[in-house]
Amino acid sequence: MENQNFEKKLRDMAKPEINQLKHADMLAKAIIDSKDRSVVSSWWLSVPVFIILMLLMKSIYMPGTTLITNIHELAAKEKYLSVIFFLISPALLIIVNAISIRKIHFLSGSPKSPGFLRYVWLNVLIILFSALILIIYSL
Amino acid sequence: MDETDLLGRIRKNPENFSELFGLYYKPIFGYIFRRTGSFDDTADIAADTFLKAFRHIQSFTYKGVAVKVWLYRIATNEVNLYFRHRHKTNSIFERLNIEEKSKFNSYFADDRNEIESELEKHKQFLLVLRELKSLPVKYQEVISLRYFEGKDNNEIVDILNINEGTLKSLLSRGLEKLRKKCNQF
Repeated sequence: MENQNFEKKLRDMAKPEINQLKHADMLAKAIIDSKDRSVVSSWWLSVPVFIILMLLMKSIYMPGTTLITNIHELAAKEKYLSVIFFLISPALLIIVNAISIRKIHFLSGSPKSPGFLRYVWLNVLIILFSALILIIYSL
Repeated sequence: MDETDLLGRIRKNPENFSELFGLYYKPIFGYIFRRTGSFDDTADIAADTFLKAFRHIQSFTYKGVAVKVWLYRIATNEVNLYFRHRHKTNSIFERLNIEEKSKFNSYFADDRNEIESELEKHKQFLLVLRELKSLPVKYQEVISLRYFEGKDNNEIVDILNINEGTLKSLLSRGLEKLRKKCNQF
């Protein structure tokens, strides 16, 4: 009963209303103009991608070598660097991209259709590739 | 207005986003303001909400939820982030390139004066809001949507993406807690 009275009080209570927002039109224009300046900052991907591409090229053009042997060879030569390239970087990429997919999913209205994949295919690809590197390194 | 038609036009020409902005900026701004009680924080959160909506409108699918619900969802999430960090660290207006900044600042100051004086007229609301803000966010959002925004169960369930049983239990427990806190008036 007390809750019902309180509910009624809350419902009937006068609330502040927004009548006019003079700044709205200028803000809308600023938001629309921001489309030209949004930059995907993927430059930080360039270093791990460069290393992996190098190893891939070596596997393709050097007879008798594979991506697996090349990763293990580099891991034996450069103990600390290999931990960064083949363990820390892929793990970070998996985490960052998983968070990113979750955020895009939420901001897209939580769609259930597989069509959503076309907006996150790059993130999925990076996760799969990072997982592959992690698996090869830990073998 | 047919929302799917509007979405189609925005996808073809992003300039049409201003139509969606015109339709929903005021209600979303009002919702955020009635949750935070601060004009400056509301302006930041509302601008962030619409910037995110603008950047993700291409991937938004109408099949899941309506545009209005989607905007309320983003706004709710932004308000919750604000309550988690207690303040906005970096004003979005510094990042946006606003032409005629002095004109914008003057409009902004006018809006602030008007809305703050409107808030001053609602002493009882301010007291309830102060107590509501001391409750966990999960209660704040359901109580605010139900009693300040007048949303029904179906709309709240859609906005918060929870089931009706959870909503009912949150509302009942939240209301009980708020009533105890507001006992003095």
